[in-house]
Amino acid sequence: MSDAHHGHVVEHPGSKPHVVAHHFNDADHEFDASKQGMWVFMVTEVLMLGGLFVAYAIFRGLYPEMFKAAHAYLSVKMGATNTVVLLTSSLTMAMAVSATQRGERNKALGLLAATVALAGVFLVVKYFEYSHKIHSGLLPGGLFGTEQNAELIKNFPKAPLFFSLYFMMTGIHGLHVVIGMGLILWIMKRTSAKEFGPHFYTPVELVGFYWHFVDLVWIYLFPLLYLVG
Amino acid sequence: MAHDHKHDDKKHGHHHYVLPNSLAFKVFGALIFLTIITVWTAHFDFGAFNFPLAMFIATIKALLVCMIFMNLKNDVKENSVIFFTSFLFLAIFIVLTGSDIFFRGDVYVKGPLVAGASKSKFKKPWVSTAELVAHGKELFGQQCTSCHGAEGLGNGPAAAALVPPPRNFAQNAGWKNGYKPSQIFKTLKEGIKGSSMASFATLPAEDRWALAHYVVSINPAHAKDTTSDLAAVGVDPSKDGMGGESSSPTIPVSVAMAKLAVADINVAVASSVAKNPDAPVGSGAAYYQSKCVGCHGVSGEGALVRNMGVSPKAYLKTGSLSGVPFDRFKSVVTKGLPGDVMPGYGNLSNAQLQDLYNYVKSAR
Ligand code: HEC
Ligand code: HEC
Repeated sequence: MSDAHHGHVVEHPGSKPHVVAHHFNDADHEFDASKQGMWVFMVTEVLMLGGLFVAYAIFRGLYPEMFKAAHAYLSVKMGATNTVVLLTSSLTMAMAVSATQRGERNKALGLLAATVALAGVFLVVKYFEYSHKIHSGLLPGGLFGTEQNAELIKNFPKAPLFFSLYFMMTGIHGLHVVIGMGLILWIMKRTSAKEFGPHFYTPVELVGFYWHFVDLVWIYLFPLLYLVG
Repeated sequence: MAHDHKHDDKKHGHHHYVLPNSLAFKVFGALIFLTIITVWTAHFDFGAFNFPLAMFIATIKALLVCMIFMNLKNDVKENSVIFFTSFLFLAIFIVLTGSDIFFRGDVYVKGPLVAGASKSKFKKPWVSTAELVAHGKELFGQQCTSCHGAEGLGNGPAAAALVPPPRNFAQNAGWKNGYKPSQIFKTLKEGIKGSSMASFATLPAEDRWALAHYVVSINPAHAKDTTSDLAAVGVDPSKDGMGGESSSPTIPVSVAMAKLAVADINVAVASSVAKNPDAPVGSGAAYYQSKCVGCHGVSGEGALVRNMGVSPKAYLKTGSLSGVPFDRFKSVVTKGLPGDVMPGYGNLSNAQLQDLYNYVKSAR
């Protein structure tokens, strides 16, 4: 089965065979290398978001009362709903990976579809939150509606800063959600094409990592933005 | 190169952990439970513990996701090292930035402000010479004009905010220590208690003498020192020297840097005093604009006081104020800081003080 030029082929009945890229010794080698690459990528993600977390830490340290006052304009209900939605989507994603590993293709497809649907719910909730903020002039920096929020701005002139951080942090997170949805749809297409099974499921697992990471970031964003005590 | 596939498959089975659904549900249950706990605890005020508690719970949740859903638990150790190292760097990033921003104002200026030559140029600095007056004039431009004005007429940009007002050197009336060079020397050494005329003892003695001669030159009618006047400040006119005072002070790095930035500061002073954002009348903001802006700057950057060589606490913009509780703020603002530039404003009501406090905290 192995061929010096094209690398190994791994197979599973009812699935397309997977040809291991020729620069890997075997399928495990390929799997481990891909996974490690994904972890390294997630390090870059942590450090990219890290800049925003540093900005958050500094400004919260400088203006603790302002953060407390400004955060009251966010809806804890919506934030908590979205937390539950994302956690549930992490569960369906994790189960989609293990279903693929067990060769239960239809179940995997259903779980992936549920994950995308939950991501959609997250974005709809976010849409309502954003449009409320935009209508109330609770916007970053110079866009802030000073007249609409005269009381807040009088007591806390630096309040627009909170909304700069809010929109930047949730915006970048939201972008990740959109990208994650695209990746999951791509994985669904390939699952339907019978590309994955117990013999080969690296892309499913790695997209799963990406999705869990999106969840991970939200786990911190929720208390940092919605529950400033 | 022939491969034994059975061997490969065995390795597969060893490496590839499949997450049982039952465990996935348990973890999910724990995550939801912890979310409820976070939202619930947010209703209580644990003071300083609020934030660490929320972060602690978030971290448990994050670890559950990493270890079980992302299966880091059964993964090679390398991947854990790679991933968790990023948080180490994040921590370094936050801690170092924070230690700069939040503690910058705590770098107190200890010791004299100006580097003196190790040997004085002037053998008997209490005797006025053209050279000393010129030197004094130069120093005056750097240290005193903010309050006393460019010509020493008591009309500097900060003067309006000061009670009592700065001395007008062209007048003979109202001097507390007196206007002879030795008496001015004493003022510069000790300051005037209960006013914003601070001690300038951090300047080398010869510079204080130079300043005294310059101040005297503004109104030549001012009297000369007698031997007993000089003796009162510890000077024996028959001997060279500083009258028991060292003239070879040290200079901290931070002060050297501040000196280098003097030109730049003067621009900041001019612009910050000129600006007067329209704040609602009677508000903390308005009060700040009329009384405090002259020294602390438009947004607490310590505009004028930076020129006075006093404690960096005047930089309200740095974290030095973040730890000032309202009680301390109230006492500083109503009583002033004795022996320091910070004047007292005794006529403020509690509500006004609270308003001012909120404003000052937000202006940082
Ligand atoms: C923060 C503002 C401020 C600065 C800066 C300042 N002064 Fe004064 N100075 C005052 C005030 C206010 C008084 C009046 C004190 C009083 O009447 O009790 C005063 C009074 C004086 C007096 C009169 C003392 C007396 O006997 O009544 C002298 C002399 C004097 N300053 C010199 C200087 C010199 C020289 C400098 C620069 C090295 C300087 N001051 C910097 C605010 C300032
Ligand atoms: C004449 C200049 C001057 C004016 C006017 C002035 N300050 Fe100050 N202020 C200072 C200086 C100098 C310090 C630093 C004193 C020190 O730390 O020794 C200071 C310190 C302070 C501090 C910090 C005290 C601490 O313990 O950290 C507060 C608070 C403060 N000022 C508030 C105000 C307010 C509010 C006003 C207006 C009502 C005001 N100041 C007006 C010069 C001034």
